[in-house]
Amino acid sequence: MTNCENFRDSIGRWLDGELSLSESAEVEAHVAACAECGEARRQLESLQRALTGVLVTDAAPIEFIPFWREVQRRINSKRAWYEDISQWAREFFTAPRIAWGVPAAIVLLLAVVSLESYFPWMRFGGGRNKFASVESIDGHGRSVALLRENESKTTVIWLYQDEEGENETGEVGSKSGPTF
Amino acid sequence: MKLAKLAPSLALLFSLSLIAQQDLAGAAEKNPQSVQVTIRSILAENKNDEFDAKLKGMEQQLKSLKYRSYRSLKDDSKSVAWQATQSFDIPGGRTLTVVPQEFQDNRIALKVRLTQGDKPVVDTTVKIPNKGNFILGGPPHEGGTLVLSISAATQ
Amino acid sequence: MELSDRELVQKCQAGEMNAFEDLVSRYHQKVFMVILGLLRNREDALEVAQETFFRAFRKINSFQGDSSFYTWIYRIAVNMSIDAQRHQKRNPLEFRESMDSVLEAQNETAKDPFADVHDKELRARLIKAINDLTPEHKAVIVLRTIEGRSYKDIGEILGCSEGTVMSRLHYARKKLQDKLSAFL
Repeated sequence: MTNCENFRDSIGRWLDGELSLSESAEVEAHVAACAECGEARRQLESLQRALTGVLVTDAAPIEFIPFWREVQRRINSKRAWYEDISQWAREFFTAPRIAWGVPAAIVLLLAVVSLESYFPWMRFGGGRNKFASVESIDGHGRSVALLRENESKTTVIWLYQDEEGENETGEVGSKSGPTF
Repeated sequence: MKLAKLAPSLALLFSLSLIAQQDLAGAAEKNPQSVQVTIRSILAENKNDEFDAKLKGMEQQLKSLKYRSYRSLKDDSKSVAWQATQSFDIPGGRTLTVVPQEFQDNRIALKVRLTQGDKPVVDTTVKIPNKGNFILGGPPHEGGTLVLSISAATQ
Repeated sequence: MELSDRELVQKCQAGEMNAFEDLVSRYHQKVFMVILGLLRNREDALEVAQETFFRAFRKINSFQGDSSFYTWIYRIAVNMSIDAQRHQKRNPLEFRESMDSVLEAQNETAKDPFADVHDKELRARLIKAINDLTPEHKAVIVLRTIEGRSYKDIGEILGCSEGTVMSRLHYARKKLQDKLSAFL
């Protein structure tokens, strides 16, 4: 952007009185010296006059008493409860809030649902039954114990040796076993 | 500026794509094609106080068995179709045969048989929580005790 | 001695209806003008202006005094006007007829510095061009032109930064100039 374009873009702020004293002086000096910027100023002032004519002079005064009476009537008339809720909803659920709220709610919901993959104890409805359940068991003549370890939620099927302490391989196994 | 205006729409598109991805994953879970069965063969002893680092994730489960040391012997993992029979070689001339039967309420019903040579040692049907496991232990092995961790996860 | 806005608000919050009447008397014309500038229809503007003060009364206890009363009431008025514009379903032709009737009424009561045909054409085109602006751009033009508010004040009313006010004004003026260049 050229220096002249910078000045031209500042003309609006200058006419609105939004520039500092030094900035105003610079713009004023440039506009006085530059034909293009001078024309831009003239057009902007012409637009401003037209806007004032349309927006200010068009607004014929309104009488206060009938206006106030109508406001009073609204204040005194009882609103249905759903109108209040509807009004609150319209004020609260603005387009930008909905535009951001909907994807945010979806992401939050998915995050909560996904957490149970990392924290199985969070699984909805599944927290009660973490143990593997034994539906049937046949030890083929051996003593079998079914055990549950509460802390780790582990089901243990333990095969005890026969009374002689030997098995088919001839090994003599350890006499220890789980002692829950 | 345009990006700022597009941002909510992009966020919505992103979150909808997350839903689609979740939905597909969920669909896969509801109708799983097969089961990944993992067998860990572990030697539990009282000779020393060593705990094999490979078994770190199972520390709490194993220590409840009250042995002093635990050593990983073998890990084996296979994908098994529903109703299909799959055998795993277990140390000490043993074989573990599994048949995934059904998937219901996020639990896998698994039919399991441990054999020593040709002789059945134990037959059992267990319903395991998906991605969970159970322990089958007790047979003597190398002066200690054989402990098997049997886990299953849908695919 | 005339009470300040803050004192009148405190009296309203204490339940004094007369205080609220004084506030309405003070601001009803200005609020109406701003709303008319945004909606470009007198009946709609009157309706929204009355509703603005009704809403202000309902919410008066929530007014903390963080901003001035006029900033607060204008904020309500502008938000309601923007809301009304989104629901407005008037076509441009009907709009022009409505403005013609306003111009006639205005001729009876106010000075019209733009008497010739060229200026009437400019005004008609300007009204259309204003109406083509987005509600947010229209709001900055109206508040700056009618109220002569600083960018800071406008930003407070609209709930945006001074920079945003500046860029919206710049954009809106450029748009209007582009549409009216032959007439300016």
